[in-house]
Amino acid sequence: MASKANHHPSAARQRFGSDWRAGRITAWLTTVDHKRVGLLYIWTTLGFFAVGGVLALLMRAQLATPNENFLTRGSYNQVLTIHGTTMIFLVIVPILAGFGNFLVPLMIGARDMAFPRLNALSYWLFLLGGIVLLSSFWAGHGAAQGGWTSYVPLSTLHMPGHGEDFWILGLHILSISSLVGAINFIVTIHNMRTSGMTWTRIPLFIWAILTYAWLLVIVLPTLSAGLTMMLLDRQWGTHFFDPVHGGSPILYQHVFWFFGHPEVYIMILPAMGIISEIIPVFARKPIFGYKAVAYSTVGIAFFSLLVWAHHMFSTGLPVGLDSFFMLSSMVIAVPTGVKIFNWLATLWRGNISFDTPMLWSLGFIGVFTLGGLSGIFLAAFPIDWQLTDTYFVVAHLHYVLFGGSMFAVFAGLYYWWPKMFGRLLDERLGKLHFALVLIGFNVTFLPQHFLGLLGMPRRVYTYRPGGIWEVYNVISTVGSFLMAVGMLVFVLNVVITARSGRRASNDPWLADTLEWYTTSPPPAWNFDRLPYISNARPLRDVRRRLEAERWK
Amino acid sequence: MTRGSIFKLFAYAVVAGAITTAVAVFIPWLPTAATRQADRMWFSIWFAEIIAIVVFAVVAAALIYCVVEFRVKPGDTSDGPPTHGHTMLEIIWTAIPTVIVIAITIVAAIVIHDNGKAGTNPLVIKVVTQQFTYQFEYPNGKTFNILRLPKDRNVKLDLSSKDVIHSFWVPAFGQKTDAVPGITTSIVITPTRTGYYPIICTQLCGLGHALMRSEAIVLESTEYDSWYASAGEAPAAAAGGTDGKSVYTAAGCGACHVFTAGGSAGTIGSSLDNLSVDAAKAGEELNDFIRSSITDPDTFLAPGYAKGVMPSTYKSSISGAQLDSLVQYLAENTK
Ligand code: HEC
Ligand code: HEM
Ligand SMILES: [Cu+2]
Ligand SMILES: [Cu+2]
Repeated sequence: MASKANHHPSAARQRFGSDWRAGRITAWLTTVDHKRVGLLYIWTTLGFFAVGGVLALLMRAQLATPNENFLTRGSYNQVLTIHGTTMIFLVIVPILAGFGNFLVPLMIGARDMAFPRLNALSYWLFLLGGIVLLSSFWAGHGAAQGGWTSYVPLSTLHMPGHGEDFWILGLHILSISSLVGAINFIVTIHNMRTSGMTWTRIPLFIWAILTYAWLLVIVLPTLSAGLTMMLLDRQWGTHFFDPVHGGSPILYQHVFWFFGHPEVYIMILPAMGIISEIIPVFARKPIFGYKAVAYSTVGIAFFSLLVWAHHMFSTGLPVGLDSFFMLSSMVIAVPTGVKIFNWLATLWRGNISFDTPMLWSLGFIGVFTLGGLSGIFLAAFPIDWQLTDTYFVVAHLHYVLFGGSMFAVFAGLYYWWPKMFGRLLDERLGKLHFALVLIGFNVTFLPQHFLGLLGMPRRVYTYRPGGIWEVYNVISTVGSFLMAVGMLVFVLNVVITARSGRRASNDPWLADTLEWYTTSPPPAWNFDRLPYISNARPLRDVRRRLEAERWK
Repeated sequence: MTRGSIFKLFAYAVVAGAITTAVAVFIPWLPTAATRQADRMWFSIWFAEIIAIVVFAVVAAALIYCVVEFRVKPGDTSDGPPTHGHTMLEIIWTAIPTVIVIAITIVAAIVIHDNGKAGTNPLVIKVVTQQFTYQFEYPNGKTFNILRLPKDRNVKLDLSSKDVIHSFWVPAFGQKTDAVPGITTSIVITPTRTGYYPIICTQLCGLGHALMRSEAIVLESTEYDSWYASAGEAPAAAAGGTDGKSVYTAAGCGACHVFTAGGSAGTIGSSLDNLSVDAAKAGEELNDFIRSSITDPDTFLAPGYAKGVMPSTYKSSISGAQLDSLVQYLAENTK
C-alpha cells in the first residue's frame, strides 16, 4: 500500500519546472497540482468568508435596536439564508478541503493527490456552486428565504420566485464537488503514504481528513436526495413533502438532518485535527494519547450518524425515539471531552511558546469547551424544548462553528502560511488580530445565550422594545463590528507580509510532520527525497540526527 | 505533581468556577416559571448548569495553569518531557464524563415523563396556526385569538397548522412545540401564576415570522369559569363573531396590512387604505375585487407584491357570513 520512494529529483525537476507558484494566469486556471488547487480553495473561501461576514454585519446592524427599518422582512430572510449557507457550504467545508488538498500529500510524503484532474474538477465545481448560490440575489424575487435548513412546506409551497431553485442547484453542485474531493482524499490516504508511514504514524490531521471524507461520502447522497425531492415538489408537481396530498414535512427534516448533523462534525473534525497538529509543536511535547485522539475522531464520526433527530425534538416525535436520540447525543460529548483532556495533558509540563498559531489553538480550546457544554443543554430534550429555535441555538452554533472551526482555520493559516507562501505572517499583527476577534467574538455571542433563554426567537428581523433585550442586542452588534475590525487587521497582515514578510526556512516552527521536511514553499514535485518514517514525529527524528552528527 | 501545584490548580478552578457561578446567578437567565412544567424544566436546566460550571472550571483552570506555569523561557527550544499517554488517565476521563451525561439523561427523562402527563380530564384547547396568527378553539366550539387559561388546571394544547410549520412558545411556560401541517402535536401545561404572557412563533414561517405573536392570559379559575360561561358575547376579538372589524382582527389581516380603520400597520402586504385604485386596475367592482382578493389572492397581484405570500386558506377558514361582513367593512373604510 505505501508507495515506494518514487521521487527521482532530476527527472521530476524537468517535468515540473522550477517553481509551482510562478506562471501566468493560465497556469493557475489549468493547474492540477494539489498545492495550487489547495491555494485556490483557500483564497476563494476567504473571499466567500468576506461576503458572508458582510451579510452578518448587515443583520447585526438591523438588530442593533428594536423596530429598525434597515433590512426587513424578505430582504432580511434572504441575507439570513445566504449568510448561513455561505458560511457552511462555501467557507468552512471547502476551506478544510483546501487545507486537506495542500497538506495531505505533503504530510504523507506523496507527490500529489491520487486523482489530480478530479481534484481540479472539485475546485471548479465548488467555484461554480458558489457563484450560483450568490447570484441568486438577482433571481426573480431575490434569494432563498428559508434559512440554511430550508424547511418545507415553507420552501416548497410558499416560496415564490427562483431564489430557492438557485439555492437547490447551488447545493447540488457543491455536493458533487465535495463528493469528488472526498473520494480523492480517501484513495490518496489509503494508497499513497510513503514507506514506513503506518496507520499509527500518520499525522492526526490525516486521521481527521480521512474521517471527514468518509462522512461526506456517507451523508452527501442523502442531501442530494432531499434536494431533488424538494426541486421536484417545487417544479414538477410531486408531493413528497405536501401534507395535503399525503406527503410529510417531517420526512424532509429526517432527510436533511441525517445529512445535517454529520455535517457539523464534517466541519469540526478537521479543525480538531489542525489543533492536534499545532499544540504539540508549540508545547514541545508529543501529543498526549495519540491513539485516544485518533480513535475518538472515528468514534465521534460513528455516533454522529446516530443523533440526527435531536434537531427535531420539538416536532412531536414519540418520546421513546426522542429518548434514544437524547442518549446518543449525550454519548457523543464523551469522545469530544476526551480530545479536550488530551490536549490539556499535552500542554501539561510542556515548554509552551505563544506564537500566533498557538494563541488561536488555546482560544479554540476555551471557546469550544463552552460550545460543547451548551450542546449538552440542547441534547437534553426537555431543555431543548425550551431552547430550540431561540437565540440560544444561535449562540451555541457560533461557539462551535466560529469559535471552533474558524479559530482552528486561523490557527492553521498562521501555522502553514510559511509553508504555503515562503513567508511568515507578522506576529504582532497576528496577535492583534487574535485579540480583537477573541474579544469581539465573546462580546457578540455570549449575550445571545441570555437572549434566547429570556425568549428571543431566532431568524427574526425585529423584536419588541423594552427590557434588557435591548441591552444585549446592542452589545452583540458592537461585538460583531469589533470582530470585523480584527478581520481587517488580518487582511492588512496578508498584504504587508506579501512583500516584506520574514522569509521562512524549511521548518520555522521546529515541527514534527513531514511537510516541514521540504522547502517553503515546496517544489512542484514536493520532495527531493524522503526519510523512512519510524514514528509519528519524523521531523523531530531528522533534527535529532542532524544534531547528533554535529556533535560527532 | 507537587502539593503546591495541586493547590494552585485548585485555586484557579475555584476562581473560574466562582466567576461563572456569579454570571449564572446574577444575570437574569430565565423568566419566572409560570407553570408546574416550567418548574421541572428550570430544575433540569440548573442541574445541567451546575455540572457545566464544574466542567468549565476544571478545563479553564487547567488551561490557565498551563499558560501561566509552563511558558517557555526566552531562547529555550528544548523539548518537554516525552510523555506519550497514560492509559489509566484515559479511562478516568472517559468514565467520568460518561457518568455525568448519563446522569443528565436520567434527570431529563424523568422531567419529560412527568411533563407529558395530562392527568384525567384535562382542558383540551385546539391551537390552529396559519401565517401569521394563532387561533384557539375551546371545547364549546368557540374560537379566540387570545389564549385564556385557568390557573391550576391541566391544559392540553393540540397544535395544528393550515400552511407551513409554526411553533408555539411561551417562555415562562417552559414548553415549546412545533405546529406541523398534516399532523397534530401537543403539549401539556398547568399554569401556576396569573398574568399576561407573550406567545411566540419560533419556527421561520415566512415574511411575517418576526411578527407572529399572540398572548396568553392566565386567570384565577373562578374568573376563568365566568369568562368561559359568558364567552361569545364577550371580548371583541372573537372570531366566532361576524362583525367585520372583529373578523379582520381575528383573521390576522393586520399582521400584513396597513389599514387605518382597523388600526393595523403590517408591512408585508399592500396597504388596504386605497383599494379602489387597484380595483379599477383589475377592472372589477370594488366589493367583488375585495372578495376575490381574499379568497383567491393570487389572481390579481397588488403591484410590487409577490404571489403566494397572502394565505390562500381564507376561502375555507372564514365563513360566508363572516366574509360578507369583512368585505363590507373593508369597502366602507377604504378609499
Ligand atoms: C401573510 C400576510 C398576509 C395576510 C395575513 C393577509 N394578507 Fe392580504 N395581501 C398580502 C399580500 C402580500 C398582498 C399582495 C399580493 C396580492 O395581491 O395577492 C395582499 C393583498 C390583499 C388584497 C388586495 C390588495 C390590492 O391592492 O390588490 C386585499 C384586499 C387583502 N390582501 C386583504 C386581506 C384580508 C382581508 C386579510 C385577512 C383576512 C389579509 N389580506 C391577510 C398579504 C397578506
Ligand atoms: C458536544 C457536542 C455537541 C452537541 C451535544 C450538540 C448538540 C446540538 C443540538 C441538540 C442542536 C439542536 C439545537 C436545536 O435546533 O434545538 C445543535 C444545533 C447545532 N449545532 Fe450542535 N452540538 C454539538 C457540537 C456541535 C459542533 C461541533 C458543531 C459544528 C462544528 C455544531 C453545530 C451545530 C449547528 C450548525 C446547529 C444549528 C442547527 C440549526 O440551524 O438548527 N454542534 N447542536
Ligand atoms: Cu446535531
Ligand atoms: Cu413563525
